[in-house]
Amino acid sequence: MTVTITIDDRPYEVPAGATLVDAAKMHAITIPVFCYHPKMNPAGMCRMCLVELGSIAKNRDTGQPELDDNGQPVIRWFPKLQTACTQIVSDGLVVRTQTARVAEARRDILEFILTSHPLDCPICDKGGECPLQNLTMAYGPGESRFSYGDKMHLDKHVPLGELIFLDRERCIQCARCTRFCDEVVGDDVLAFHERGRSLQIVTISDPPFDTKFSGNTTDICPVGALTTADFRFGARPWELDEVPSICPHCPVGCNISASTRLDREAGGKKIIKRVMPRQNEQVNEIWICDKGRFGHHHSRAADRLQRPVIRRGDEFIEVDWQEAYKQIASRLKQADGDVGFLAGPNLSNEDLWELRKLAGLTGKSPRLGIWPATMTGGDVIAQVGVGVGTRLQDMGPESAILVIASDLDEEAPIWWLQVKQAADRGAVVIVANGRQTKLDRYASAVIQYAYGQAVEVLNSFAARARSRRKVARPLVESRVDGYDDLHEALKGTRVPHADAADALLGAENLVILAGGEGLALEDHAELMQAAANLLIITGHVGRANNGLVAVWPGANTQGALDLGFSPEVTADLLANPPAVWVIAGADPVAEDARAAETIAGAEFVVTSTQFLTATALQADVILPRQSFAEREGMFTNGMRRVQRFYAAQGPVGEALPDWTIYAQVGARLKGDKPRLSAGAVMRDITQHVARYAGMSYSRLAQVEPQFPNVGGSDLYYGGTAYANHGGLGVQWATDAEDESARLIVRPVELPDRPAAGDLIAVPVRLLYDRGVLFGPSTLMHRRVPAPYAGLNSQDAAPLGIADGDQITVSIGEHRFELTARVNGRAPVGTVLLPRQLGEFPVPAAPTVCVVHKIEE
Amino acid sequence: MEHILLRDLDIPDIWQFDTYLANGGYEGLKHAVKHSPSEVIQIVLDANLRGRGGAGFSTGRKWSFIPQDAAIKYVVVNADESEPGTFKDRQLLEHNPHQVIEGALIAAYAIQAAAVYIYARGEFWDLSYALEDHIDEARQANLLGENILGSGWSCDVFVHRGAGAYICGEESALLNSLQGLLGQPRVRPPFPAQVGGGLYYQPTVVNNVETLANVPWIMLNGADAYKAIGTPESPGPKIFCVSGHAARPGNYELPLGTTFRELIFEHAGGVRDGKALKAILPCGASGPVLPATDDVLDTPLTYEAVTKLGSTLGSASVILMDENTDMVWAAARMVHFFRHESCGKCTPCREGTFWLERVYERLLRGEGTPRDLEILESVPRQMTGVTLCALGDFAASPVLGTLQHFRDEYERYVGISAPEAEAVAEEAVPVEAGAGGEL
Repeated sequence: MTVTITIDDRPYEVPAGATLVDAAKMHAITIPVFCYHPKMNPAGMCRMCLVELGSIAKNRDTGQPELDDNGQPVIRWFPKLQTACTQIVSDGLVVRTQTARVAEARRDILEFILTSHPLDCPICDKGGECPLQNLTMAYGPGESRFSYGDKMHLDKHVPLGELIFLDRERCIQCARCTRFCDEVVGDDVLAFHERGRSLQIVTISDPPFDTKFSGNTTDICPVGALTTADFRFGARPWELDEVPSICPHCPVGCNISASTRLDREAGGKKIIKRVMPRQNEQVNEIWICDKGRFGHHHSRAADRLQRPVIRRGDEFIEVDWQEAYKQIASRLKQADGDVGFLAGPNLSNEDLWELRKLAGLTGKSPRLGIWPATMTGGDVIAQVGVGVGTRLQDMGPESAILVIASDLDEEAPIWWLQVKQAADRGAVVIVANGRQTKLDRYASAVIQYAYGQAVEVLNSFAARARSRRKVARPLVESRVDGYDDLHEALKGTRVPHADAADALLGAENLVILAGGEGLALEDHAELMQAAANLLIITGHVGRANNGLVAVWPGANTQGALDLGFSPEVTADLLANPPAVWVIAGADPVAEDARAAETIAGAEFVVTSTQFLTATALQADVILPRQSFAEREGMFTNGMRRVQRFYAAQGPVGEALPDWTIYAQVGARLKGDKPRLSAGAVMRDITQHVARYAGMSYSRLAQVEPQFPNVGGSDLYYGGTAYANHGGLGVQWATDAEDESARLIVRPVELPDRPAAGDLIAVPVRLLYDRGVLFGPSTLMHRRVPAPYAGLNSQDAAPLGIADGDQITVSIGEHRFELTARVNGRAPVGTVLLPRQLGEFPVPAAPTVCVVHKIEE
Repeated sequence: MEHILLRDLDIPDIWQFDTYLANGGYEGLKHAVKHSPSEVIQIVLDANLRGRGGAGFSTGRKWSFIPQDAAIKYVVVNADESEPGTFKDRQLLEHNPHQVIEGALIAAYAIQAAAVYIYARGEFWDLSYALEDHIDEARQANLLGENILGSGWSCDVFVHRGAGAYICGEESALLNSLQGLLGQPRVRPPFPAQVGGGLYYQPTVVNNVETLANVPWIMLNGADAYKAIGTPESPGPKIFCVSGHAARPGNYELPLGTTFRELIFEHAGGVRDGKALKAILPCGASGPVLPATDDVLDTPLTYEAVTKLGSTLGSASVILMDENTDMVWAAARMVHFFRHESCGKCTPCREGTFWLERVYERLLRGEGTPRDLEILESVPRQMTGVTLCALGDFAASPVLGTLQHFRDEYERYVGISAPEAEAVAEEAVPVEAGAGGEL
């Protein structure tokens, strides 16, 4: 719905409910602000947005506008200037933004702000991309009447935790940072202290500034008051090239800008100086988490592998690429098809494609596995993945979101944020897991099931839909296979959470985010099908803001599934190991005990890797692969959006992108000329993979105007890196969106319950871990916990274990030494084991374990 | 004349529950609950009771804004009396507390509130403990609590102590403070009477202590009797707090419309030591100073008349300044006060008060220049009418008022050398604004 307002004597159609600042901005009319931010509620504090405001006078009886002698509508003006940020537009609103009075008010406010500002722009990180600088140039007084001797001097290096520093002199008390933490994130970690001119930002949490989103405050800060420990004093904004990229850490696929520069630190080479969010309103809006922002140091770590290495006896010898290719090609020929391929979590689609092509040259039925193999259901996603155009950030009172078997806050922080905000807007959010998670506090209902029993929750919802006539009959009758069996199987299913079920079934839209926590691979397949059953029979498929999202373990797990890799093959490779392994961008030896044993027994192992990992140490040929920062490519995110990233920094040593490596090996098997560019590989993909058919690099690079309009030519929202010049990406459509495609439901199998009295080790994912790509970001080390195991007090007490004790956890023949956490988080009968916290492999699936206290 | 508000002057132990009851106490409430809530509002509307906190807004209209269908409504008593030279609410709460409680309960009945919160300034800690005892006495007598006087309506009264911030006398900052938030004003709309704007974001009436002390009398005696006191536009009695260089400083309850001359010379005994009256601050620090001319002295103390003089009646804390008062020094004191009390939420007030204080410090050190006078002319104007609450306007008024009427004193400061300035400063007798004024 729109309303008509008049700005500077011209009429404009603007959306009802918008603030006047936003409405004007939509028509490229600038009403400058400091405290206002389009992603937050207005505060009306800085007074920069003062305008002349009035409304068309209407006759009370007739409702018609009153006219003056000239036939013009009479306008009733407010006697005082009004803040445009707090004004919601309505029909008949009249605004003047260009009068002398408004200009004077802007000049006055800027003069006031500058009296307390240090004017140290020449040494300020924000200089060059600073809203205060911009607006002073545009609207400010040319000189100051404030005597410099009257300035108040304050601390300039106040740590708000180890990641963010506050310069108290530069702060203009706009409260964007505190409001971001309070309103957007919900973490009560920053606040104002004192009052008046002494008003200052403090952190009120312990540990300080305890939120996973702290870096975003530095982007929205309209001055240089908040800076990151990672970048401060590192470069001037105008020296930086912003390279569009995609975060390689999780399946959200946040759009980022890598700010790069030729740098002394890197011997004059181009390196990433900082990572900032790049606006993509379809994905991460303008936010990224701190792992994405500060976790880029792996790309230029000193211990990056520089040259190919081969094993000769017990020695590793550096060789040139030709020699490495030759060795691999000859061993692959000898293997006669007995080869297994493993694709790691952040291989690009180009890498995956060339690896697959190579595999095709080695045998008739190549074995293509995904690492880590903790989750499955690519086929289910292809059927009922969320509809094209789904935006969690649009979902509100008419929608329901079910998060199951996932600790979203640790696994996909930006999705967590968007689900939390949907709950704030009134969406029904139901969280189901075997333990408490941070999202619980925003949920309308929390369902805690016994680990392994996740499907029962979905079955009970489906049964409720069946008994309450919430089944979408037309859809089911026209294009669903297997409904009768499911209908029969759901008969008599208990519905222990009827209120939650009814809230969920009553919503117009339903999105399910499914993780894999506490589930073995085969059980996860059932979970995905159970989710699909529920979505299909209730008709929540095939349209935006409906369908299934898998919270995959990797940034490009979706791409690997799309291109024919599968976790079931990985399981089969471990059960029936091949003679030769080709392991691309993965470290199974470090992460999984069984994989370590299996791979140790292999005849020949090739791996491409950034570092000398445990897997590399087992390998016969070790190939230096480029990180996401040195090459271009594309990832497919967890919502099936295919997105391009671009080369941000120069090569490290002789490292090459995986696709080049495997294409070169392939060329030696078949004699074909390898493709010369990632774009050419993409063209190959689009010609062979139906789902990617319409996607060219240029299509993926397309952008269109986004709202809110931040970055770029914008003067006052800060963060010049927001501007998206790299593309918004393209989401592929699911079967459900194709009216002619059949959808399949089937009864799912319930997993066996563990034997009574057994302790089950449940692997869990943490955002801040010691994984290969995150470890080199030393700044973050204080946020990575020491290896621990979570125990319930009921299980711990009989073993004499208290919180903080050293314990051993034994799984099969493996024993890990850890610190016990007995803090009420672990459910009875489980031992929570975070993955990738220490130098030992935690099993990928729940396993029976034995726990002992280590006596001192 | 018998006092309507300061009844302790006639009956010294009226603060005691029994004495209050014996002298017609809580009869107003008993009378009110026999009427419908809307009838009670109508009576207060008809009486044209105007808010005594400073703005003079119609109390009955304020109550009528509360949406009747809202499930939860509150009454908040603003007892954060912090305007310099204002000490009337303190006397009421100390010496005639039940009348305030009764008035608050009538207001609560009129809007069908579930609870009354009395927000007392932090420095009122002793008084507020006594107030809790008084509330207990009323609760024992079923004058508050469950099913009050058999009316079916339940309401409790609570006392909350602030932490000593002037800004928390501003109603929306008060509500934030009461909720445990930082004491900063809110964006309005929504106003306190609206959903989303009040205490815990529910519709809320915020009334000053003295305003509510008027209500029991109005209930008992009717709107017409009330309007017979004072002037048609500003009816009723008003407590005037006289301080500064007065011979007999203190609280004086007089009908609105009494002239400055009568208040100062007949009641407060004129200026002490027989000195001449130089200037009057009619509403503490927050309104412009008035020179003590005959025109001013003959002006009736009503909301309209004082506004016409270019100042405001406000809470009617009348501070007198004798002929020896250094107006620049006095303005500097007030600017210091507002710099100290600005909450810092919005730019013009936060930065403007700081800037002005620095300029005054220079002036008083004898380092002022004519350029500083230009700043004193313009900076307060830059602060006026653009801030989130009225504090920005208040902070500008001491500067603009003294500059308008006593510009020559400023010119002496910027035109003379440092030793002479010191001499001037020594010669000047500081004004003793009765902060909290003991009687």
